[in-house]
This record gives sequence, C-alpha cells and structure tokens, in this order.
Amino acid sequence: MTVARVVFLLVLVLMAATPFAAAQESFPSRPITIVAPFPPGGVADLTARPVAAAMEKLLKSPVGVVNKTGAAGAVGMQSVAVARPDGYTLLLALSSISIIPEADKIFGRPPAFTVDQFAPIALISADPTVLVVPADKPWKTAKDFIDDARSRPGQISFSSSGVYGTLHMAMELLSHAAGIKLRHVPHAGAGPALTAILGGHVDALASGPAVVLPHIKSGKLRALAGWGDKRVAALPDVPTFRELGYPDAEFYIWAGLFAPKATPEPVLAKLRATVREAVNDPEFKGAMDKLETPITFKQGEEFQRFFETDARRLAEGVRKVGRVDTK
Amino acid sequence: MLETLHNLAIGFSVALSPPVLLYAFVGCVIGTLVGVLPGVGPLAGISLLLPATFGMDATRAIVMLAGIYYGAMYGGSTTSILMRIPGEAASVMTCIDGYAMARKGRAGAALAIAAVGSYVAGSASVIGLMLLAPPLAAFALRFGPPEYFALLLFGLLVLAYMSSGSMLKSLAMAALGLLLGMVGIDQMSGYFRFAYGVVELGDGLGVVPVAVGLFGVAEILATAGQPVPPKVIEPRLRELLPSRTEWRQSVGPIGRGTVLGFLVGIIPGSAHIISSFVSYALERKLSKHPEQFGHGAVAGVAGPESANNSATSGAFVPMLALGVPSGPIPAVMLAAMMVHGVSPGPLLIRQQPELFWGFIASMYVGNLVLLILNLPLVGIFVNLLRVPYPYLYPAILAFSILGVYAVNGSVVDVWIMLGMGVLGYVLRKLDFETAPIVLGVVLAPMIELALRQSLAMSDGHYAIFFQRPIAATLLVVAAGMMLLSLRTFIRRGLDWRARMALAEKGES
Repeated sequence: MTVARVVFLLVLVLMAATPFAAAQESFPSRPITIVAPFPPGGVADLTARPVAAAMEKLLKSPVGVVNKTGAAGAVGMQSVAVARPDGYTLLLALSSISIIPEADKIFGRPPAFTVDQFAPIALISADPTVLVVPADKPWKTAKDFIDDARSRPGQISFSSSGVYGTLHMAMELLSHAAGIKLRHVPHAGAGPALTAILGGHVDALASGPAVVLPHIKSGKLRALAGWGDKRVAALPDVPTFRELGYPDAEFYIWAGLFAPKATPEPVLAKLRATVREAVNDPEFKGAMDKLETPITFKQGEEFQRFFETDARRLAEGVRKVGRVDTK
Repeated sequence: MLETLHNLAIGFSVALSPPVLLYAFVGCVIGTLVGVLPGVGPLAGISLLLPATFGMDATRAIVMLAGIYYGAMYGGSTTSILMRIPGEAASVMTCIDGYAMARKGRAGAALAIAAVGSYVAGSASVIGLMLLAPPLAAFALRFGPPEYFALLLFGLLVLAYMSSGSMLKSLAMAALGLLLGMVGIDQMSGYFRFAYGVVELGDGLGVVPVAVGLFGVAEILATAGQPVPPKVIEPRLRELLPSRTEWRQSVGPIGRGTVLGFLVGIIPGSAHIISSFVSYALERKLSKHPEQFGHGAVAGVAGPESANNSATSGAFVPMLALGVPSGPIPAVMLAAMMVHGVSPGPLLIRQQPELFWGFIASMYVGNLVLLILNLPLVGIFVNLLRVPYPYLYPAILAFSILGVYAVNGSVVDVWIMLGMGVLGYVLRKLDFETAPIVLGVVLAPMIELALRQSLAMSDGHYAIFFQRPIAATLLVVAAGMMLLSLRTFIRRGLDWRARMALAEKGES
C-alpha cells in the first residue's frame, strides 16, 4: 500500500466522521423536523405543534412540524424509522405505534416498521379513553352496560376510528376483560365515529375525553366509565374500569416523542433535556389546557417501562382480536 | 326574526371592525391563490396556515381560515376554465364545459359566471346557515351508513348524464374508476389491497393526483402531440363579460346549484366534489340542449361552481350547530377552534355570540370581497392564455407537480399523477371521456364503506336498507330513475345521445 493511498483512505475516513462529530458538538445546527403521522387537527398534530414551538424557543433553532399521513399513521412512522439517525427528524407518535406492527404480523406481511426502530425521548400526554353511550339508552352505569352486553352477545354496537385503531383497541380490551362480545362498526377516523354515535347509529363509543366533553355537558351523551388508572379530572363522577374490577381494561391515547434508534446518545440527551424544559413552558401548558389534554410527562426508565407495558398489552389485544373475518 | 337581525347587527359590527376585516381579506386572498394553484385545495391551504393562527385572537383566526376555505372554492375554477386543470378537486366538472368555452374565446365569460355564481351561492347559503342551522343539523345527523349508501347510489346514477358520447364507453370508464378506487386499506378488516408493498398506497389513489393527471397532464400531452400548436387565443376586452343570453342561461343553474350544494354539504361525510357532479348531471337532465354539454354549455359551468361554493357553507352547519365535523375540512376548522379554546356545539351560539355571529357576518363580507377581488382578476387571468404554449405548459406542469406533492408531501402521489396523465392521454386518443373515472375513484371507497358499515350494523341483514325511512325513500326514488332510463331502451327510440353519435359519425 503506497503512502498516497493510505493518506487517501485516511482523508476518506475523516471526511466520513467529520459531519458526525460536528453534529454532536453543535446540535442543532439546522432545522429539526417533527413528523406527525396524522392529518392536521388530530391529536398528534395538535400536540406536535406546541411542543415544536416550545422546543424552538429553547434551542434557538427552527423546529417544524410535517404531517406525513397515510395508512393509519404507518407512512409517517415508517419514514422516521428509516430516516437518518441524526436527531433532525423526530416522530410524534400515538399509541398506534405499538399496534401497527402487530397487525402487520397477523396478516403475515413484512412490517412497515417495528417498535425497536425508535429511541423514546419523552411521553407528553396520556389521555385515558372514556366509554360513552347516547343519553337515551337505558344503561345508567357501566355495570348495566356490561350485564346487558353479556345477556345478548354481539347485539350492542360500537363505532371506532378504524379497525385495529386506538378506539377499537380500547373497546376490545374491555370486551376481553369483561368477557363480553360487542358488534364493531369501524369508521374512517375519530370524527365520523363520533358523528355515528351522536346520530344514534351505534350504541357505544370509546373516545378521548376532550372531544366528547361538550356532548356530555349538553346532555346528548352519557359517560359510563374510563380506561385510566385514575378518574378523568373533568369527569370526577365517572368511575374507572379498574375500580369496577376490570384492571386489564386499561388504555390511553398517549402521545410521545421518538427519534430513530441509532441517534447518537449526546444528541438524544440534548433532546430529552430540551423537551423536559419545554413541557413547563407556560405557552405550551396553555395550548394543552385549551385542548383539555392533561400533560403526562415521563422520560427515561419511566417512559420506557410505560411504553413496554402498553405495547405488550396492545400486542396481546391485537392477537386476541386476530384477523378480522368479514362476511 | 327580530332577534336574528339584532344578532346579525352585532355580527357585522365584529366583522366590519378593521382587524377582522383585514384577516377576512387576507384569508380570501390566500384562498384564491391556493385555489388557483393546481392540486392544492382548501384542505392543504388551511392545514398549512393553521399553525400560523396559534397566536391570534380566536375570531380573527377562524374568520381567516374560513376565508381560505371559500376563497379556494372561488379560485379553483380559474385553471379549470383556462387550462383544463382542476385547481382543486371540486372543480373537475368545470374543466369540461369551462375549458370548452375558453377554446371558443369565452374564457372571460366563463370566469365571470363562475365568480358571480359562487358569490350568489356563497351569500344565499350563508342565509341558509344562519336561519336553518339547528334543525337542519339535527336532520343531517340522521344520515347514518344505510342512508349514506342510498345517497351514493344516486351518485352512481348520475353517471348516465355525465358523458356526451357513448354510454357504453362512459360505463366502462366508470368501472375503471371504481376498480382504481378499490386500491388501499380495507376499512373493515385492515387488509392492504393492491398496495404491492408501497405503504403510501394504503390510502388508495387520491382524488387530487388522479384528477390533475387525467385532466391537466393529459391535456398538456395532447397539446404537445399536435403537429401544429393550437392558435393562441387572444381575448379582446369586450368579450370579457358574459352576454345577455349567457346570463339568462346561468340564472337557473346558479339557483339550483345553490340549493343542491347546500343540502349535499350538510350531510356528514359527503364531499363538495359530489355536489358538483350531481349539479352537472341535473343541469344536463333539465337542459333543452343536452347535446351542448361538453362543448361549452354555460349551465355546465354555472351549476357546479355554485354548488361547490354553497356546499362550503352547508358543511359549516353540523360543525357550528353540533360540533360535528362533516368532512376533513370542517374537521380541521373544528380543531382550529379547539386550539383557540372555543368548543363548537349546541352551546356555542349562547356562550360566544360574538364569535358565532361575527363569523356568519364575515362570511357575507368575505363573499363580497371575493367577488370584488375576482372580477377584475378575470381580465388578468385571461391574459395568461396569451403566453405561448412552449412557455406556458412546462410552467403548468411544474406547478401541478408541486401542488400535488404539497398536499401530502408524497412522491408516490406525483407518480400517480404522471401515470394518470399518460392514461388520460391514451384514453383521449381512443375517444374515452375521463370524468367518469374521477367519479368512480371518489365514489368506490365511500359506497363500499357505507355498504359494509350498514351490514355490520345489521349483522349482515340487507333489510336494514328498507327499515329506515330515509334510506328506503332514497332507494325507491333511485330505482324509479333506473326504470325511467330503461324506458328508452325498451322503446328503442333515439334519444339525444344516439342522435348525437349519429351526427358525429356523419361529420367524420
């Protein structure tokens, strides 16, 4: 090997390593993009934007939100899973991140991505779903509902945001915990699912509390129980399924920030520190307040544990549902 | 009534205050631009600007976003008429007769009629929104999957009146459209159909790339394929305004389009694009000269353009009155309101009368602003036609690609558009019409979902369609229409379609 060649190789190696080192020293040196895998106006989008705004202030560098929608979130999540792991492309994912790969498995197709392609940064919010029924239905309590469902399996219907979607999984976890069978009428998103129950076309819906609160207040819907480990602050009289003796019926629509797995540790550390500060920003708090979404901040070990428990519960749920046979 | 007037007075005092007026104006201008750009529709426009309103006062933000929404509906007709490229999806029908009018040198007239029709429809439907919102919204909620399915069957029947050529060919195109509409995730089981491992295809073929490809790109290819470039149309000033006859021909269609669009708009889940399809079919059915459709019929521009504008206001009915999104755009508006701490719903009018009435009043003002903005622009837009094709078309192609990409940020959409462009070109050469494909792509997923949801509700019993009064009525009427159209087959008489085919044969 000639000297010239050695030098050439050295230069190559150095060139390859330099941007990496530079990125570590002065992260961020260019705009960061947070991918929201759902359309504007959805939970992911509405959480991502105030997070981005608060991070921008702290990092003194632009942080943008891009809605990369499609295939129930799979398109955006996959795009981050394979993005360059440099901390400039982040993902604001919802609970469905643990559901999609499991559903792929059931159909025997190559998964669009897997959960271990992501490095968790922080959990931002975790909103338990609540069970609502039209106010003109006879069920006054969750017990009435479950007893009735048990006596006539497959007769009580519920709408959801889509098959294997978050609102579907919440209901399935309850069905298995309580040993009941309900009739599933999937809709194309949470909005149409809400319209269906307001129009009286289905009997029940599991929904994030914020969107159904105005309808509970106006007397069109009645809340029977919640999926959280404690009661929803805005609905203090509504018990949890845990209180009612169904501890397995626990479900949250949570929103968390992730980076691609191989993102260097110093960059991740910087991002984690930034988000920790960002959630205390008064403007961020104000924005989440208006959405009536309580901030549930978790990081590191704690988030990892929450994420893994949740993923296991959901994976089990998906497997129990299995492949949906349509007639 | 007196109370409404009083409330409206409060509303106007809000809407005419300089800052609110300014935001309404800004929204209208942005909306017009968004509408003019091929592919980029109101949804993309509102989504992109939603974050920009975060720091604003709620009334101003919502007035501005609403301005973008109906501004885009005005602007969408411009490129459809001038270049046969749908500025947004709901303007597909305008491409057909609007462009034919432009080729005859009546581009100015078409643009002016589209603007005036939009204005009348916009203003009239705001009155509908104001007076009828609560009762209508309650009625609209009764449209569940079975009712929706019956309504969509109507949409399919519309096909019979859409094309000017052979019925067989247009049915073939509709079937192709329905097949293309099958691509994507099966909503009931989560199964990926015809996606071939491309995750982006999970959502199916979008209406925007399909429409821009089949109409716009195909038109560009067809022009480029001509041995002699078509003569550049040089509009003269006195031809900018519609003639007396053209006005007279558009009065009826504007009126019917307004009512129709409003009704279609309030039904949750339905889209503006359907209102324009149905309006086009209705006008053709009622017309004394159905053979003129496709060759520059004024009614073919006036009806659909009015319908898609009044559908905009119609879509606000369930949103404001009940807090229920009736489609993707109202869903974003709803989110925008929540971001600003306003919760739409039955309590909105009582809790925040200034916001509600200010919003209503700003829609009157906004529609007027748009008319004033758009009429002088007719003169400017028409002059675009003077640009020689070698410069104009590459620029349009670039804008189409940009626009289609911007909607979802997806390169796959761009490929779909280009593929559809080639398909559209080939089909044109073979004398097939492409509008039924777009209708098929729009309707297929909706009909399928509504049918299967209905069956899921009834546990597989088809009786559900006849047990529910609205669905049953719609189905009976649809069956009646089918029988009526069969009558001509039985009588073996020549209708206008057959006469026209004969005439065309004679020509060639």
